Amino acid sequence: MKTPIVLTLAILAQAIGNTCLSKGMKNIAALSSTENGFFLRMILHAMGDPTLWLGTLLLILFFILFAAALSWADLSFVIPVISFGYIVNVALAHQFLDEPVSSMRWLGTGFIFLGVILVSRTGSRRTAAADNPIQRSPAR
Amino acid sequence: MLTAVMITIIVLSNAAGDVLISRGMKCIGEVSTLHPRKLLTIGLQIITNRDFLLGVFSLAISFFSFLAVLTWADMSFVVPATSVYYVVSILGAKFILGERISRLRWAGTVLVCVGVALICLP
Repeated sequence: MKTPIVLTLAILAQAIGNTCLSKGMKNIAALSSTENGFFLRMILHAMGDPTLWLGTLLLILFFILFAAALSWADLSFVIPVISFGYIVNVALAHQFLDEPVSSMRWLGTGFIFLGVILVSRTGSRRTAAADNPIQRSPAR
Repeated sequence: MLTAVMITIIVLSNAAGDVLISRGMKCIGEVSTLHPRKLLTIGLQIITNRDFLLGVFSLAISFFSFLAVLTWADMSFVVPATSVYYVVSILGAKFILGERISRLRWAGTVLVCVGVALICLP
């Protein structure tokens, strides 16, 4: 039960975080880049943008949840399952960033969805050869 | 062209980071507590683990490349395009971490890839 909860929270944190970052960075791109000291101004602007802070914090949260899941689950399980976040990403980009999403992109998200369903049916437990005492213990 | 180079950098550093972090976390063992003191101890172990730190460094390269590319490209293009890293990471999981990838897992991963390719079509 721990794995689905942690991975669902990770997926949501990553998708919302990415959307915030994209919104924030587009604002920065709108600054004039021809003047001197553009890079410095860009960093100062980024530091004062709450959308970028929120996006960054959400991605840190994603990372903590992701690393925690990797402490007990296969990388080859966690990674495809996390790809469900791409569907959430496309939906959020469509909804909040006004990016056009073609029917081909929606079809692609359907494939990703099916792929995640298949991988999630393989179970998250470790398959790697034992290289630490926890894995070797017959009690587990 | 610049976008393609950036996406390659994002993919490779992301996959390397994941493999390193996975190795580091497996070395530390299952995190199965919400007790603050125990979490603090685990946290200290994690931030002094060499594989984990290298993984974080690798992911940082990926992250800043991602931020840069978002200034000129659509997120709903960049994000799916960089998800090619799933295949690279799974190859890493198989050949570096020694995970056994079942046929079902491969099938699911291939479907994810087809989905990514479709998303990346203009």
